[in-house]
Amino acid sequence: MTRNAPPPADSGAVRSAGSSGSGSSGAGRPGFLWAVPAAVFFGLFAIVPLIMVAVLSFASWDGLSDPEFTGLDNWRTLLDDPVMIKSLWLSVLLTVLGVAVQTPLSILLGVWAAGHQRNRAVLSAIYFVPLLLSIAAVSVLWRAVLDPNLGVPAHATWLFGDGNLFGTQATAIGVLVFVSTWQFTPLHTLIYQGAARAVPPVLYQAAQIDGAGRVRQFFHITLPQLRNSIITSVILMVVGGLTTFDTVLILTQGGPGSDTTISAYYMYQKAFKSFDYGAASAIALLLVLVSTVISLIVVRLSGYDKMRSTMEGL
Amino acid sequence: MKQRARFSRTAVVGGAALALVLSLSGCGGGSDAADGDTIHVLVYGDAANKVEKELVATFNKTSKVKAVLDTIPGADYQAKLQTIINSKQAPDVFFNWGGGSIKPFVDAGLLLPLDPFIDKDPDLKAKFLPSVFNSAVVDGTSYGVPMRGTQPVLLFNNGKVLKKAGVEPPKTWDDLLAAVKALKVDGVTPIALGGGDRWPTLMWFEYLYDRIAGPELFQKALDGDKDAWASQDSRKALGKIRELVDAGAFGTNYDSVKFTDQGSPTLLATGRAGFELMGSWAYSTQQDAHPEFAKSDLGYSAFPSVEGGRGDQANVVGNTNNFYSVLKKTKHPQAVAAFLKLMYSDQFVKAQLSIGNLPTTTNTEGLLDTAASPEFAKFQYDMVKAAPAFQLSWDQAYPQAAATAMYQSLQQFFNGSMDEDAFIKAMQALPTS
Repeated sequence: MTRNAPPPADSGAVRSAGSSGSGSSGAGRPGFLWAVPAAVFFGLFAIVPLIMVAVLSFASWDGLSDPEFTGLDNWRTLLDDPVMIKSLWLSVLLTVLGVAVQTPLSILLGVWAAGHQRNRAVLSAIYFVPLLLSIAAVSVLWRAVLDPNLGVPAHATWLFGDGNLFGTQATAIGVLVFVSTWQFTPLHTLIYQGAARAVPPVLYQAAQIDGAGRVRQFFHITLPQLRNSIITSVILMVVGGLTTFDTVLILTQGGPGSDTTISAYYMYQKAFKSFDYGAASAIALLLVLVSTVISLIVVRLSGYDKMRSTMEGL
Repeated sequence: MKQRARFSRTAVVGGAALALVLSLSGCGGGSDAADGDTIHVLVYGDAANKVEKELVATFNKTSKVKAVLDTIPGADYQAKLQTIINSKQAPDVFFNWGGGSIKPFVDAGLLLPLDPFIDKDPDLKAKFLPSVFNSAVVDGTSYGVPMRGTQPVLLFNNGKVLKKAGVEPPKTWDDLLAAVKALKVDGVTPIALGGGDRWPTLMWFEYLYDRIAGPELFQKALDGDKDAWASQDSRKALGKIRELVDAGAFGTNYDSVKFTDQGSPTLLATGRAGFELMGSWAYSTQQDAHPEFAKSDLGYSAFPSVEGGRGDQANVVGNTNNFYSVLKKTKHPQAVAAFLKLMYSDQFVKAQLSIGNLPTTTNTEGLLDTAASPEFAKFQYDMVKAAPAFQLSWDQAYPQAAATAMYQSLQQFFNGSMDEDAFIKAMQALPTS
């Protein structure tokens, strides 16, 4: 990836240590001890809970009495549970819709915002604001704005009809996608803005000499140059999409019926509404497995693992 | 120079890691202060804590064993309680909703039966309205003492809107259907419903099942008799709900409206809806948000009767009350018993009445004039006192594990995305114990 973001504080230190230490022994690579804080943190807050969740998924536990091992019972009921299967599809659907809506939008906005004109700087600063708000606050805000009788839909019946946005599956999903787009597009815009600014101007100059117009320049220079940023941004979106929770909790509570009950929310319902920690753990583990598979696929398809420089030949 | 810099950096990182580990291991310890002579009282944190604080202060004036009041902010209450109740941090006495909310604790053998207390002091039971007291009786044993106000569900109305449409608060189901028609002609939503919250939708089921089949049908279902849901009475109740929804009584966008964010109360207060079926707390909600409306046009009546129904017209559904239950492992059962006695004292009743709650003790009747809204308090009190049965809200009567699936099915049947048979099947699948 091109170095378009300010380098993280420590990478400079490591690099200078490496270059000045060439030749002298042992100065180049940081010692094993350096990994301890991160490893301890990761172990305590990721590995240990994951193992406990895996164990719990084979038990029945309401948090009161001791966990009781029930073998594969949780898994059997889970795989027979129509809501569970539906929730996985809904998670995938929300993720795909999120990527499909946010990517083109944020590429266009990012490339536009990369220009150095003053009005663009001002507007993109304003446009950045949603990202600074908490997801919970944003969701509460939109819940109020979209109230069918007291909010915007009441005054725009030509668009919203009776305003029953949270009452049908299609519109409820639409609202969820819209709200996360509203909140997270600025982040991806920022990624693309930085990347677009890093595109070497010589490429555009050469294209101009060859007589390429703006559209052509966008498709033949800007987009290919943004390739690695697109991969980064899409992976962020996939991770964000699969772990969506807050918007569902506040906007739809998984409704109408179970029509927006995505896996993460279903897990929450099982654990903290029904106090069935065994089943909730099984869902959690399933979610981990599914997410791992999806991210492996994304990494494979995108070539993230062998990301090539866009600066080759320059 | 470089060597030293590297060493110190390593030391800093290592030290930080060590500190992290130490601070983490510190988390588990908890704080076991030396509280040998205290009882901890855990309550749902909200405005009513004012009264609980007063009572704890009164108790501490005379008692050797001191009571300590702990509060947990409302939304987190049940989850937090579930987490600590079988741990060292467990309280001695805790707030709950009776019924299904304490059943798991009873089953796990955590709660102290209160019958020995009652044998010593019969007033601990006799001073409360039986229909209310009974909702904290599990398998014939008393586990809770009422400690706040009762919240029956009433049919609220906007008097101005009804007048304009020439409608009276309905006495029968047919009256209600006629009122729906008349209000629709007037261009208002006949009944406001916060379907997005789901529990307001539940209230319609509770009342119709009670009016048509009496409280026995639900009790049977709760006791594990799956056939109850498939009975003819059950189908009749579902038919009535379908009839009302299809008549356009709730408009079309009720699933996007909530009570909790003022959506449905505002519809009623601003004259865009004629009725709203809601717990008695709607009265104070309206007083807060629309004081003018609450004073002049807010009306209320009991749920209409249904012709040919088996249930008594005077039956009530709602939240019977909140309760104090006691943990078996309390070290001071005598002090706890003394504390519980305060729950039928005049001081308690007056304090609850002053903040708008309606206690369910027998001495409440004589003190109703001191209530924040005496007329409304009297109406409710007479209603609850006269009720042959007070049906605890289904979501609280069933175990917690059933709530989510129950809400889903209720909503789906109500909005027509699930038919009668599928609904019956879904209710039969709910865990009952």
